[in-house]
Amino acid sequence: MLISRRTFLKAGALAGAACAVPAAFDFPAFVRGAAEQPVTKIPSTCNGCSTNCALWVYVKNGRLWKLEGDPKSMKNEGTLCARAYGVAADVYNPDRVTQPMKRTGEGQFSPISWEEAFREIAGKLTKIIDKDTASTVVWMAHGGKETYAQMLLDEIGAATYITHYSTCFTSKTNAWDKMVGNQLTADMNRAKYMLFAGRNYAGGIMPGAMRKIMRAKDRGARIVVVDPRLCELAKVADEWLPIRPGTDLAFFLGIAHTLISEKLYDEKFVREYVFGFEEFWNANRHFTAEKAAEICDIPAARIRGIARELAKNAPAAFLDPGYHGLHNHYASSTQIAQANVIVNALLGNFYKHGGLMPAAAPRFGKLALPKRLQPEKGERADGAGVNNEYPTVETSRGIAQHMPDMIAAGKVKALFIYHFNPLRTAPDPEYQKKIVTAELVVSIPVDWNETSVHTAHYILPEHYYLERMDAPKSTGGNIAYDYPQAVMRFPALKPLHNTKHLLDILKGIAQAMKIDDLYPFTLEEDAAAMLKPLGATLDSMKENGCLEVAEAVKPEFPVKDGRPALTTTTGKVEFTVGAFKLHGRMGVPVWTPPLVSPKGESEFRLIHGKQPWHSHSVTSNSPYLMAVTKSYNGSRMWMNRSRADKLGIRDGDTVTVEAKIEHRGEARAVSKKVAVKVTEMLHPECVWVPSGYGNFSPRQKVGYQQGVNYNDFAPARVEPLSGGCMVQEVIVTVRKGG
Amino acid sequence: MAHYAMLIDAARCTGCAACRLACQMQWQLPPDVFFNRLEFREAGKYPDVKQEIVPVQCMHCDNPPCATVCPTKATYKRADGLVLIDHDKCIGCKYCVVACPYDVRQMNDRGIPEKCRFCAGFIEKGEQPPCVSTCMNNVRVFGDLDDPNSELSKKMKEKPVYQLAAEKGTKPRVFYVKRGG
Repeated sequence: MLISRRTFLKAGALAGAACAVPAAFDFPAFVRGAAEQPVTKIPSTCNGCSTNCALWVYVKNGRLWKLEGDPKSMKNEGTLCARAYGVAADVYNPDRVTQPMKRTGEGQFSPISWEEAFREIAGKLTKIIDKDTASTVVWMAHGGKETYAQMLLDEIGAATYITHYSTCFTSKTNAWDKMVGNQLTADMNRAKYMLFAGRNYAGGIMPGAMRKIMRAKDRGARIVVVDPRLCELAKVADEWLPIRPGTDLAFFLGIAHTLISEKLYDEKFVREYVFGFEEFWNANRHFTAEKAAEICDIPAARIRGIARELAKNAPAAFLDPGYHGLHNHYASSTQIAQANVIVNALLGNFYKHGGLMPAAAPRFGKLALPKRLQPEKGERADGAGVNNEYPTVETSRGIAQHMPDMIAAGKVKALFIYHFNPLRTAPDPEYQKKIVTAELVVSIPVDWNETSVHTAHYILPEHYYLERMDAPKSTGGNIAYDYPQAVMRFPALKPLHNTKHLLDILKGIAQAMKIDDLYPFTLEEDAAAMLKPLGATLDSMKENGCLEVAEAVKPEFPVKDGRPALTTTTGKVEFTVGAFKLHGRMGVPVWTPPLVSPKGESEFRLIHGKQPWHSHSVTSNSPYLMAVTKSYNGSRMWMNRSRADKLGIRDGDTVTVEAKIEHRGEARAVSKKVAVKVTEMLHPECVWVPSGYGNFSPRQKVGYQQGVNYNDFAPARVEPLSGGCMVQEVIVTVRKGG
Repeated sequence: MAHYAMLIDAARCTGCAACRLACQMQWQLPPDVFFNRLEFREAGKYPDVKQEIVPVQCMHCDNPPCATVCPTKATYKRADGLVLIDHDKCIGCKYCVVACPYDVRQMNDRGIPEKCRFCAGFIEKGEQPPCVSTCMNNVRVFGDLDDPNSELSKKMKEKPVYQLAAEKGTKPRVFYVKRGG
């Protein structure tokens, strides 16, 4: 709970007496009294999703009072979404892991001291490295690279750091990396026309994006949203185009065809800065808007219309580079991302204000550390970047969803899982449970998530984000903003439990492994070194919050010696990907149908998305956020009314959802029950579930068994080009009743 | 004397519930007590369908039925327009809960009704209620109607506004922007 109401009221009454206000309670006295308690404001960044919204934490009597968004941060511009508050309040959630734990049986744990845990883990780790090779030691994490963890991997010679991105958006980053060498971002601040497909900034919320989108709307910019569901962003858009799920590639190719066949594209930009235009056009010259319309359920006239409107407003027009939904979850996701690059390049909007701009990033400093003699690394265990496995998957992100196969094949013996919960956020939890069979599994969470409960041999709880300092980060990325910004977390609260910071956990393990001086610095020293070139100090960051560097990103295509100088082979935007061709694939995107399609009255494609007040599984044990779910029946599965009528399903009815999961020749039937929301706001061929539900950790009492999760119905597959998990390539059968 | 009021542009709302959570934190409320809610409605048939989301909270009526029915005058109207509850005078009879046409009163765990306080105590210091300041879409504008230069006064002139259930004669101080306005 938050600070006790009783304490709060007492403070009010006392102050009331002191001010000679009548004893009768009134609010001004209440608030004056409360205000007289010393309040400290500490800057931090939200941990409710990976956006990193900057915020101020108000602390009173050593307890969390409230949060306020930092007005300077481009990611949130002073605002915060519901998740920020729910996740902050969860510092007091009784379902946190309160001390290091050691597994004693299925779901059974007993407390262990930090020293003992470090000693046992180090012993096992050393034995594995000596007996096998350090290549069998793997670190998996939600979010980007943790420098400190990478340092341990480098020291022992372990090649495999895996992020969760292969369950999120890797086809996007892969396509942009290989075609452009940069992840460009949409300049909503200046755009006149914005097309969003499979990107719902009001559901998978980025508050700063919504600020910019709404301001653009106010000044007359046009907003078009393509989504099988009337999503939250579509609600405030000028136009919603419900697309047949899984066919966005056809829609993008139809737009590209119109731009080229009607000569609406930026010929100068293509001539100077594009490689592979002819190859793309040769492969797609027959894929007209009419052809696209047959597939994607959006009329040809509208596809042509959108292409013309985009071209008319170019370069202050864009197709948003997108995120989770389209860029991981279809067999054609890599081609979808490629087509996205191509549509934007045809508009000539690269490095243009109002189009796509590079992310601004501050130039952080680096602590000067003595060079260490480190072993050479072997091949990655997950197959990312490995010949004959997944050669074109980005090694900076890896493949997270097939860990049990890697363990069974003897490629992984020791696994660290940092703030990541593959048992709930990767496909097929029954399969993911086999992670427990590794020789060493160490989970570093804050809460009793499914992965910790079912697979961890040791649980080493980290400080809650409000209890810890974290190194400075850039706010840049995902959406455009002219100036580089740095934000930083400072500890706002004293640690409530027997937890540690990641750096201290790693120091403990390294010391127990007899690795001397791997981390010869403190967190403060590291952060200070990073800030130094920006003219900032720990004190100035603590005083001012978000730091902005007054050096704007210029709207200029990179050119060197008069030639295009992107980091691609040709220096140009490459419409065809050489690396794909090297490995026997098409270099350019062409229409690729979905892997599976629903047939008959009771079959549906199962798709998912974020609900505005939940972030996948991270928030589903929050009492405050689950209370919102309860108020709005938020865990229901959406179904189009015309389909529901045929099956005799009424709003609120419970249905049985069934699927068959096949993995490596074995088939399993899955059957779950869920209540249905019958709606007009969804394409008839799919059912939609919000992504945050279906917790099955019995130690998470609030979220336990609320709703269903899309991952329950999906096999663990790997899309070969980018490593995506294709979980929207799933057909479920729905019938009324339980 | 200020004349506090609020303008809500429901067309801008995308239903994230940040207003509810920000308010719960400001006032240290438990998860199931909240001072503002969202009303979700669908209109039309697929694919020609629209969604409406209407944020609802205490309207701080100038003619508040909750105060009229209160036998102990626990609910009272302040000169600056705020409708507040004196918890010490309240006997927990719930007449006010029934009388409110907007259904915005909730009983707390001590049997006393709770509702939006228009952030009394904070707004006098010039602060914005957190339901206003946390909103990424600028759905709400709060301010002083007596100040012609306030953002509220300006916005009220820009677009036609209406009040919820105005026909009940409650004279709410929460105004809504008319659809298409």
